[in-house]
Amino acid sequence: MSERIVKICCGTGCVANGSRKVLEAFRTELDKRKMEVEVVPYVKATGCNGLCERGPIVKIEPDDIAYYHVKPGDVQEIVEKTIMGGEEIQRLLYLDSKTKKRIRSHKNSDFIKRQTKIALRNIGEIDPYDIHDYLEAGGYQALRKALFEMSGEDVINEIKASGLRGRGGGGFPTGVKWETCHKIDKSPKYIICNGDEGDPGAFMDRSVMEGDPHTVLEGMIIASVALNVQNGFIYIRDEYGLALENMRRAIEQAKELNYLGDHILGSGHSFDIEIVRGGGAFVCGESSALMASIEGKAGEPRAKYIRSAEFGLWGQPTVLNNVETWANVPVIIEKGSEWFTKIGSLGNAGTKVFSLVGKVKNTGLVEVPMGITLEELIFDIGGGIVGDREFKAVQTGGPSGGCIPKELMHLGVDFDTLESVGSMMGSGGMIVTDERTCMVEFARYYVAFLAEESCGKCVSCREGIRQMQKLLTDICEGKGQESDLNLLEEIAHTVQQASLCGLGKTAPNPVLSTLKYFRDEYLEHIRDRRCRSGVCKALTEFYIDSDQCAGCGLCKKGCAPEAIEGTLKEPHVIHREKCIQCGNCIDICRFKAVKVR
Amino acid sequence: MEYVKVIIDGKECSAEKGEFLMDIAERNGILIPHLCHHESLRGLASCRLCLAEVTENGRSKIVTSCIFPVMRDLAAKTNTEEIKSMRKTLIGLLAAEAPGNDKISQMAEAYGISDHSRFLSDKGNECILCGLCVKACEEVGCNAIAAINRGTTKKVATPYEEPSAECIGCGACAHVCPTGCIEMEESCGVRKIWGKEFELLKCNVCGKHFMTKEEYDYINKKSDIADQPVCKSCKQIEIARKIMEV
Repeated sequence: MSERIVKICCGTGCVANGSRKVLEAFRTELDKRKMEVEVVPYVKATGCNGLCERGPIVKIEPDDIAYYHVKPGDVQEIVEKTIMGGEEIQRLLYLDSKTKKRIRSHKNSDFIKRQTKIALRNIGEIDPYDIHDYLEAGGYQALRKALFEMSGEDVINEIKASGLRGRGGGGFPTGVKWETCHKIDKSPKYIICNGDEGDPGAFMDRSVMEGDPHTVLEGMIIASVALNVQNGFIYIRDEYGLALENMRRAIEQAKELNYLGDHILGSGHSFDIEIVRGGGAFVCGESSALMASIEGKAGEPRAKYIRSAEFGLWGQPTVLNNVETWANVPVIIEKGSEWFTKIGSLGNAGTKVFSLVGKVKNTGLVEVPMGITLEELIFDIGGGIVGDREFKAVQTGGPSGGCIPKELMHLGVDFDTLESVGSMMGSGGMIVTDERTCMVEFARYYVAFLAEESCGKCVSCREGIRQMQKLLTDICEGKGQESDLNLLEEIAHTVQQASLCGLGKTAPNPVLSTLKYFRDEYLEHIRDRRCRSGVCKALTEFYIDSDQCAGCGLCKKGCAPEAIEGTLKEPHVIHREKCIQCGNCIDICRFKAVKVR
Repeated sequence: MEYVKVIIDGKECSAEKGEFLMDIAERNGILIPHLCHHESLRGLASCRLCLAEVTENGRSKIVTSCIFPVMRDLAAKTNTEEIKSMRKTLIGLLAAEAPGNDKISQMAEAYGISDHSRFLSDKGNECILCGLCVKACEEVGCNAIAAINRGTTKKVATPYEEPSAECIGCGACAHVCPTGCIEMEESCGVRKIWGKEFELLKCNVCGKHFMTKEEYDYINKKSDIADQPVCKSCKQIEIARKIMEV
């Protein structure tokens, strides 16, 4: 029997599903059977594999077997059958939602096989808690190259030639940013990693910090060499406990082995990194607000008529990049810009990590070459819509992204294309909606989120978003007027053009895009006082179609507010005054008798 | 000194490199509406009314002129149809935020805004959160007030909304407030501001109450000169008299 490795996913999603218990169970079980197993496998916890929905995930190598939904109770069987007997356990293998077949290697699943991993290359493979695992995977080789084989200009030129654009959403060319900072004759200069990921549903930066913290450090250290910078900061939102812990540990280990600190690897270059914990404001993901926060001031953005590469942290030249951008740097330095430019589409080199969430079957993190169509992303990788319902729209770019309808599913996903249709790349959030999503309520929800998260400094953002929220709430409650649509567009235009920072400038996207592509839904709410998706409570009534109701009584049992009445085998009725329109009865009914009007 | 050529609304103006667009415009008699900029305090770009469309290197963008530094030759327009329309929307938003405020009402009237019925106006005060008061307090060196909370719940307050130990009752905040919404009451030798009462000192010359004791002490401590308390107008008369003597 050859040497085996059991990799247990301990990303946040899997941990929440109990993967730490699975890890413990493996250790206990193998300890117990030490005598029976020829070579005790090496059990390690890894970062997130992406397919969080099917966690906890356990991979066994070199057999190339991946098990999903593993529970501590399955561990004994896995050790007996797979580790000792070399046999696969069918029920734990990946189930292909289209062919309904089980797949042995996760690399052959639709979810994984279409992905190209650069930023996520090590995640799920290495133990983020052990620097040696990163070194074994080729880590810190790029740093050696930058330190001993390249000049600062070489490094900057390589990044420039790669065409790498900021993965935090701005899409600004990273190399150009570095070059601007490099050319300024002023010191000290600073390097910052933005790990204040705040988009609801997005977790790629978290996953990188948790699953491969050294790649972020290596990217930053390479930049510090190229730009001759001695101090760096990693700003991590405080809610990301595991990311904070893993980054801290990584910094300690990197210092122990002299990849960080004084005279890095015996060279003349010194660089130190400090972690700053964010206070939980969404707006602190905006670069100038983030810098204000590091300085100890309130997290409010400033106008960037002078870029932070010139006038950043404490007024000094500063390079700020997002976690995912930093994760790309070591690979580009190692493999070269030419290799990188071959991936992706014109002007949008490389890959982008998306968090595919919402009403899609395979939710999770995916890294794909830019230019891939929305259709491939949602239907091939994502496996289509839950319950095979009708797809309605996808919102890209987080809360201030726009909604893209199904007519535009052929579009390639990159910075420029998304912006041209009224949305944006943002940090790569992708929220899929189906026929049961009301687009007016969807817009209202995000506008409400942004109203709360606006820093409140400028009138257009603070008051504009608040008034848009008011108008949208009115429409959802059946109090809308047709003239509200023009008023909404007018405010949206001003908020977009007149706001100080990116939060305000992009905040109207959910409103403008839904008004553009789903105007009929708005009009239905206003003219007919009807919400076709059955979401807006004031405009909706749930009822049971007596012709289709078999009187099974399941809906009655599942109705928390006891709004359903009826005797067995007789059609049931819903009492409108008690109904809270939670939709549970619709999901429960096997006869599709519960309807919305 | 480097100079740049700026064309504002068709008028050619000369300016030093790095000067702010609003200052250049004002010097040349072009008035751009604003609320959060004060002659003695640089604007904070929070009211957004001083929007201008700037074209440099063939590319146009919307900027706030109070804080936009002119670094190269450019053309700026402060009153295009688009800008006027956005300014109108912004004034409408301000009018909903501070209903009943005279200054804002006048502006709304000038821009032909009469109907606010579709807007929510439930804030119940006249503050437009321009931030000038906070900046004035910071400049004085007291830092007694700050903007607290964020988004729609943001407001200016003392720490924990309790009478502040730092406040010297100088009233600089009320003086710079564009909507005049900071309450400062004076009666029987007592000034009341930010929930704190201050004893007022009398002018040594005319005998009128004019300055809080805390402000007087603060100035003496800072300047190291223990002058007798004399009010501004008496001081002016005194200086004028000295000049006459010379």
